[in-house]
Amino acid sequence: MKGEARLGWTLVAPALGVIGLIAIFPLAWTVWESLHVHELRMPWLGKPFVGLANYVEVVNDPRFWAALGHTAFFTVVSIALELLIGLFLALAMNRVFRGRGFVRAAVLVPWAIPTVVAALLWRFIFESQGGIANELLINAGFIEQPLVWFIRTWTAWVPVILADVWKTTPFVALLLLAGLQNIDLTLYEAAAVDGANKWWQLRHITLPLLKPAILVTLIFRTLDGFRVFDLIYVLTGGGPGTSTEPVALYTFNALLQNLRFGYGSALSVLIFAITFGMALLYVKVLGVRLGGDER
Amino acid sequence: MKAPAPITARLAAVAMGALALCSCGKTGAREGQTVLTFSGSALGAEGTLVAKQLRKFSELNPDIRVELQRTPDDANQRHQLYVQWLNARVGNPDILQLDVIWTPEFAAAGWVLPLSRYSPAINEFFPATVEANRWAGELYALPWFADVGLLYRRTDLVPAEPRTLEELVAVAKRATMRPGGPKHGFVWQGARYEGLITGFVEYLGAFGGRILDEKGRVVVNAPEGVRALEFMRDELYGSRVAPLDVLTWHEEEGRFAFQNGTAVFMRNWPYAYEPMSDSAESRVAGKYAVSPMPASGSGGGRSTAALGGGQLAINAYSESPDAAYRLIAYLTAPDQMVERAQSVGQYPTRPALYEEGRMKGLAIPLGDAKRAIESATLRPVTPIYTELSDILQIELHRALVRQAEPKEALDLAARRINALIERTGMRKLMSGETSVAPAAGAAK
Repeated sequence: MKGEARLGWTLVAPALGVIGLIAIFPLAWTVWESLHVHELRMPWLGKPFVGLANYVEVVNDPRFWAALGHTAFFTVVSIALELLIGLFLALAMNRVFRGRGFVRAAVLVPWAIPTVVAALLWRFIFESQGGIANELLINAGFIEQPLVWFIRTWTAWVPVILADVWKTTPFVALLLLAGLQNIDLTLYEAAAVDGANKWWQLRHITLPLLKPAILVTLIFRTLDGFRVFDLIYVLTGGGPGTSTEPVALYTFNALLQNLRFGYGSALSVLIFAITFGMALLYVKVLGVRLGGDER
Repeated sequence: MKAPAPITARLAAVAMGALALCSCGKTGAREGQTVLTFSGSALGAEGTLVAKQLRKFSELNPDIRVELQRTPDDANQRHQLYVQWLNARVGNPDILQLDVIWTPEFAAAGWVLPLSRYSPAINEFFPATVEANRWAGELYALPWFADVGLLYRRTDLVPAEPRTLEELVAVAKRATMRPGGPKHGFVWQGARYEGLITGFVEYLGAFGGRILDEKGRVVVNAPEGVRALEFMRDELYGSRVAPLDVLTWHEEEGRFAFQNGTAVFMRNWPYAYEPMSDSAESRVAGKYAVSPMPASGSGGGRSTAALGGGQLAINAYSESPDAAYRLIAYLTAPDQMVERAQSVGQYPTRPALYEEGRMKGLAIPLGDAKRAIESATLRPVTPIYTELSDILQIELHRALVRQAEPKEALDLAARRINALIERTGMRKLMSGETSVAPAAGAAK
């Protein structure tokens, strides 16, 4: 047995090595950097060890907390919309109709477009002069003057959230569709025999049985939403002021624009801790639910 | 963790090495020949010109061979690349093209060599362009070409240049009210980026304010600064001569608006002059002129133009600094500057060239250009400029989109800039104690 165990370890060693090299090592390095002052632009500061000073600076920085708030806002609003519309799409796609395969593929098109390209498209749509959005709204009589979308916080969020919903809903729909197809159709037949209408069937059969799929979707989407960067970078640049700036953009600014490696690393470590915590929480919740379903 | 260079810098160095191997192999160098690498923006006509001038230099100096290393045209990208290379102590490229706001940063970091040992004739250049390249009393780069903020106006609507900012707004307002007049009175760069600072510096000067005083103290929130910012805001929400769109605009959006005839005035750089003279593209060809931005009529200020432009400096890790200086001296000599002005429209930094009648065929009338360069004002000359600018961009933008009151925004900016000065140990450096800068040691 001992020899077998050794063989086992030998066989997994390369995989463990790779994980160590690409996951653990960079993370450890980042943590180490975050304990130092390290500013590429200011070599005269040296690279002194400063303990938790960078973290103290982060938590005392209102811009960080604001960025965290924007990220949470973006995540909650966009995911709520995506789940709602995605569920609707999934239910529609789950019905047997001609050309179903084609529709499923077509729905995925926005998801296949690179985010930066999609963001640029939405930027054009919401351009203040000559943008389609303004033209439509003026023609429909909602507004008289073209709106400058990107200079007010609330109007700047509109293209951001629309773009994300447009792009990601198909992905959500597909995940939910997979869940729908696992539901035993005889349940619906039985319910129909008992006289249950469609609404009752949706509430008491579909949604409860779809819970695992919804939770998986939530995990993927919250973690994604929390890391949102390219979309906002292109659409608003975090503005007006910094009122749509997410944490990833703030970190990018500190790390790659201002080249503050120590401070930027502290930010990265905090973001990592937050997303890791959320993932743990979800896994725990999901584990319980799945276990319950299996029993 | 022994090495001082971070992984990114080292990766960049490796990439650099690979680049050097494939594109600028030094194998072609003859025995005893010095090989220099020149770097800078080298797109299109500019690239052709640089290549031509480098070739001519090599012909005149057979002992030196010059390689051209193309760097991104985008200033931010070039800056980032330089910083990574220099952190990795790479001696290539030998000559760096610095933006006007970078010299103090590179000097304080010890990345570029002091030039006083070569005793360049600095009194032959516009004083402001030399001042931008000084740090702690020492000169670190020579001005290569000058870029300067200009006020463009439609001569068919406004024959005479406005003498004050207030007059500018009044004239713009009147021209837009006229039936069939342009939609916008005044367009400028108001997006949250460096361009916003250059514009703000011009208003600030017009009202007699500054960002930092001569001792390096933050005075941007003084009454002059507040008045300048209030004036900008009033153009948007009071007199409404500037459309709110400018708060998302960079240079090109403004140029398109002006070029399509939808604006009376535009604040922009000299580059816009030439393309707008093409009547196939432009509706205002032959109908515009430039002048420096005017001062405020309220007194205390002066006509101010933000200064931009390219500087040449020697990499502190260069193996042949003397040869590098010879190349810099050649490129910044009168003949090469005239050639540059004629083929890519970038202005010489030598006032004498504007007098001699040598520069024919230039787009912008020389007198106007010279006047603007003479009213040129520097953005703060400090190694922490980029971060300082970042702070100011955010707060100015917040005030202009009405998320904050001008005074409140500038107070906050001042507080954050002071914190930045504190954090970076800049207090000592700015007050003239030069010993902190490692480059001072290299001066010997």
